[in-house]
Amino acid sequence: MSTLTFEAVSQRELLRVTASFASGQHVVLGTEHDGTAALIELAAGMAAPALGRVLLDGAAPFSQARVRLRVAALCAVEQLPPARTVTDALSHALRARGDARSASAVLDAGGLAHFAARRTATLSAREQRALAGLLALTHPTPSLLALFEPLLLVGILSEDFVLQSLARMASAGALVLSSASRVEDALRIGGTISCLERGTWLQASNTGLSLTEATLRVRTPEPRRLAARLAEAPEVNAVEWAGGKELLVRGADLTRLAEHVVASARSEAIRIEALRCQPPSLEALAAARAGAAQAWYERAQREQRVAATGTEPPLVQTRGIH
Amino acid sequence: MNDVVAGAQLARERLRGLVSPLVLVLSVIAVYALGVLERRGSGAGAADSALEGPVFGFALPILAYLVSERVCDGARLDRSVDLVARYGVDRRAALFGVLLVSAASTALSAVLLTVSALIGAHTLRDASLVSDLRASVGIAALSGAVYALWFGAASLFGKRGGGRKWALILDFLLGAGSSALAAPWPRAHTRNLLGGVPVLDMPQSAAWLALLAIGAASVVLSVSRTPS
Repeated sequence: MSTLTFEAVSQRELLRVTASFASGQHVVLGTEHDGTAALIELAAGMAAPALGRVLLDGAAPFSQARVRLRVAALCAVEQLPPARTVTDALSHALRARGDARSASAVLDAGGLAHFAARRTATLSAREQRALAGLLALTHPTPSLLALFEPLLLVGILSEDFVLQSLARMASAGALVLSSASRVEDALRIGGTISCLERGTWLQASNTGLSLTEATLRVRTPEPRRLAARLAEAPEVNAVEWAGGKELLVRGADLTRLAEHVVASARSEAIRIEALRCQPPSLEALAAARAGAAQAWYERAQREQRVAATGTEPPLVQTRGIH
Repeated sequence: MNDVVAGAQLARERLRGLVSPLVLVLSVIAVYALGVLERRGSGAGAADSALEGPVFGFALPILAYLVSERVCDGARLDRSVDLVARYGVDRRAALFGVLLVSAASTALSAVLLTVSALIGAHTLRDASLVSDLRASVGIAALSGAVYALWFGAASLFGKRGGGRKWALILDFLLGAGSSALAAPWPRAHTRNLLGGVPVLDMPQSAAWLALLAIGAASVVLSVSRTPS
């Protein structure tokens, strides 16, 4: 069981971020400009916070080599250890972390054996990230995986390999902290979703907003029958049918939702022609983030007033952001 | 030990390529040519002039600066090992490996420059060539190593290791004197060992100790200012 804590951390875009993560999968929604890259670098011990503290199991990863030994990281910009070929560079990295496996075994595991003889000077920035990602995802005993936009590696690494590695490590007790700039990616990674908005930390559970609702678009020749069956399920929050062959099925957990749709269709012998995740619109995301920011601001104001007066003030009704 | 090796490998890989040997070869040719010119111009004192001016006064500090810049990849010394530190390598040990490679490379370069300058300043039949070589090679090796360690420690200052540049400038300016201000700079003690004006009338044996002390202090400073 690992715990990663950020205590009033300021660094580059991050503004006094206070957050805590336990073992399991966590996704931070936001772009590099919101501070996700800085957050991952701090978690991985690749940068020291300008203000505040970052602790992994009570020790600072930046200043403790033994802590970094158990950290696997993928940053926004990656550079392999200097060497002529990819095999040499990976060998240096593996030796540095005390991993007895050969570079070719690691490349094989990620399906990147064709990179073995490549000269590192010819690698693109994306390929360097993919190789660094492969090193992170094949860490033998990590207590923390800190990954900046791991799904951007898809195309060089397979999506199944990335997602299965994350799930395997989380189930083995590691703390998996990923960032995603797209809600769709965050839902595909799964786990607890928090948000960084221009350096300000917005934790979904604190703000009371659900940023995790998933929507599935299901195409079937018998939408009414399937809708009737799905409406009974606790995993499903809502089913929409606007005519035609398509249903919109909403729920909290994308994986469970998809599993339930498939199971329901199978039990009723209903054919599914297509099943895909429906990402929220940009407007919906912006509204959710603005709402989260408003809620966070109001909570902070309330806490400040409580700290000043020592009593809980009455809730003030505020106008929502539309 | 593994972490020291990781740092040393990092530095070795950064020194790879054509640029470093090319700069060294050009420097060796240049100091040889200057040695020849000194022999033709000043005759008996040619060896001293060639060593004090072109080799130890100019080429060695600049080469040491360039080697330090290269092994640190143009960054601060403590951040130059981030590429391996992220995998769990102890920064202090890796940094020590970087300093070892830097010191060894600079010491070797200094020896080559010295030998080249002396061969230029003497004729091959000259009886004093061997004795000059014997006396100067040790000074060159120690000075080279100390300069490398010194620039390494200096590069702990500044956002991108800019202290290294200041150390080079101040060594040129303050190390040229013989007052107490010159005492912390390698140039002043190297000059003393070569038979030049001593700092604070120190004997030559004290100059050896002063260089060793500067080197040791640089290593201690580098390691103590770097987190694990």
